[in-house]
Amino acid sequence: MKRTSKLNILTISLSFLATTSCSESRAAQVGTDGGDGLRIINHAENLGAGFPVGVTPLEPRNPFEGNKQATTTGAQLFIEYNCIDCHGADGAGAMGPSFQDGRWHFGGSPGAVFESIYQGRPDGMPAWGGRISNDQIWMLTSYVQSLTVSDFSTENFSGETVERTGH
Amino acid sequence: MKNARAVIIAIGMIACTKSDTATTDTTAAAPAALHTVAGTRIAFPHAGPVGEWQMPAGDYSSSRYSDLKQITAQNAAELHVSWAFSTGVLRGHEGQPLVIDNTMYIITPYPNVAYALDLTQPGQPLKWKFRPENAQQAIGRACCDVVNRGAAYGDGKIFYNLLDGHTIAVDAKTGRQVWRTKMGDLAKGETITMAPIVVKNKVLVGSSGGEMGVRGWIAALDVATGKQVWRAYNIGPDVDVKVGPRFKPFYAHDRGKDLGATTWPGDTWKTGGGAVWGWLSYDPDLNLVYHGTSNPGPWNQDQRLGDNKWTAAVIARDADTGEMVWVVQISPHDLWDYDAVNENILVDLPIKGRTRKVLVHFDRNGFQYTIDRTTGEILLAEPFVPMNWSDGIDMATGRPRMRPEKMTAEGKLVKDICPSLEGGKNQQPAAFSPQTGLFYVPTNNLCMDFQSRRVTYIAGTPFIGANAPEKGGPGGYRGEFMAWDATTGKKVWGIKEPYPVWGGALVTAGGVVFYGTLDGWFKAADARTGKLLWQFKVGSGVVGNPVAYTGPDGKQYIAIYAGIGGDMGLLIAGDVAANLPYDLRQRGTTLPDLSRWTSWGGYLFVFSL
Repeated sequence: MKRTSKLNILTISLSFLATTSCSESRAAQVGTDGGDGLRIINHAENLGAGFPVGVTPLEPRNPFEGNKQATTTGAQLFIEYNCIDCHGADGAGAMGPSFQDGRWHFGGSPGAVFESIYQGRPDGMPAWGGRISNDQIWMLTSYVQSLTVSDFSTENFSGETVERTGH
Repeated sequence: MKNARAVIIAIGMIACTKSDTATTDTTAAAPAALHTVAGTRIAFPHAGPVGEWQMPAGDYSSSRYSDLKQITAQNAAELHVSWAFSTGVLRGHEGQPLVIDNTMYIITPYPNVAYALDLTQPGQPLKWKFRPENAQQAIGRACCDVVNRGAAYGDGKIFYNLLDGHTIAVDAKTGRQVWRTKMGDLAKGETITMAPIVVKNKVLVGSSGGEMGVRGWIAALDVATGKQVWRAYNIGPDVDVKVGPRFKPFYAHDRGKDLGATTWPGDTWKTGGGAVWGWLSYDPDLNLVYHGTSNPGPWNQDQRLGDNKWTAAVIARDADTGEMVWVVQISPHDLWDYDAVNENILVDLPIKGRTRKVLVHFDRNGFQYTIDRTTGEILLAEPFVPMNWSDGIDMATGRPRMRPEKMTAEGKLVKDICPSLEGGKNQQPAAFSPQTGLFYVPTNNLCMDFQSRRVTYIAGTPFIGANAPEKGGPGGYRGEFMAWDATTGKKVWGIKEPYPVWGGALVTAGGVVFYGTLDGWFKAADARTGKLLWQFKVGSGVVGNPVAYTGPDGKQYIAIYAGIGGDMGLLIAGDVAANLPYDLRQRGTTLPDLSRWTSWGGYLFVFSL
């Protein structure tokens, strides 16, 4: 069922910032995660008079952060919405990218993962925003973020294996 | 079974300790016992001038046999790289180039760039390069890597399919797009990866998406305009499936009204798979095109009780109208993702003292079928790889006899099913030599566990509903390249490989058979004995198919793609699924050490004496 009443909370927070906090310095609250988060590139010299400058978005927080039940529910949703058959059992990777390898093509912060699920991504990730509730998207976010196993930067060919499903 | 993992690790360790070069284990029959099948022929041999390669499989029979004989079993050891070309794309390079009028045509994996190389000039400069519009979303809607299995040629045009569901025609001389027709709907998970064939004034194409709940079809487009002439669905009511007065299936259980819909619960046929992503063959005398259909969807069998016609079937259709003339449902109510889309090789063979017009089909389910191509009668069906789900084919009905302990059910974990869902053989096409009467078959030796679960159809997402981790099959090898006698259903010789042989075969009049391996070797073997004659490390794993052609200098050349990917490379090789070339992935269970031997690539290699 389509839920048009549920607007993208990021859009809300961004427009809120743009209209009400233009004169405040938010530098202390800026996410400095090296590019994972959403951000506005502020080309002040190109902006018209009166346009708010110095505005940096807040990194949205997962309302279910630290909630183990939400992660468990997210794991169930991961199966129910067929995420599992793209991203593999336990997010090991299949048609779609792995969630275990600590690599995030479109950002690994909670807000970036939320956006990947909400609006989809250009390589075929469907947009789930409006099709499932934002709460469910946050719970999926909790789950996929819980799947990171370790840094796989090096493969040392010791014969260790990880299970994967195939097609 | 906990020790399954231990076994897999052990296999991986053994493979790791092998020397870098000795990766094969030849188990050829002694030369004294040379085995040939007399009185065999390719039904419709080579297309076009000798020395060209005009069709994906070389001819309408899908023989992948070349008349060229400069390269022989005696001199193959002198083969060396003549030249190479980088395709600029790093995903799985299935398929093969075409060679027409001293021009080589190459289609890359997504984004499906087409190249025309001038073979008359030193350095093979491009005549043209064509970059089609091709929706990026298609990448994530393709189940098994963003492969393309090649182009077809006719009417002065190169025809090929785009991953995003279009069929296009490009002027062979100029590289200009002549027409572009949308055939598949990405929103429903329809992509296209198969190689078309041209029959008279039509180009025939089919859909992929058996894992996405598509409703599979095959269609014919006018070569001049790209307008659809006919489209036949493989599931649904007779009118859509093109079952009419000409439909004469050999087996009684295939006769009846609207079986493509009534063998499914309710409306489940509407998302039931039956895609046409494999190879097409054509018999000009009978005017029949032969194609297979994919697995039924979803994999969870409890959601689609019944025979699920006409999925996992081999079908003969009138090439002018699309009418179904006969069908053999190879795996009725498929339980293990055994698509029947593998190639159908059209040959005339002596069987029980008579020369029969047959098609020879090596199915995912592990059986080799020799089928009368005029009637659809199964003349022979024998296992060609280790398998344990069936006790054989009931020749009265054509149906497999199932072993109950390997049958799946929702929620039930079934262990150690062989072959795995990759099949005894997958898309990697076999070849046939009229000199030996033998088939040259790249095979897999894998097994799996299988546990299905309830799944909901959501358009554009996978419609699978099962976990099926794979592992190496019995015997400590995971693939074998073999010579096979389809009149007796027996292996003549085999070369055991550490990995599934995911590249296709080529056999030549010089008595040499060529194939590539996932660990990046390209090999030549004696077609009579299986003796390894020559090998060259092309680097990236081979999932493509060799072709032979004569250059403008009169020399024989052998061309092959190197570029690991496809289902094997994508899901199992480890570091080939990510978008970023430097993104290393942990290895999967089935091929735990493959990424030690190979990495992404996108090359054409050309060899000569």
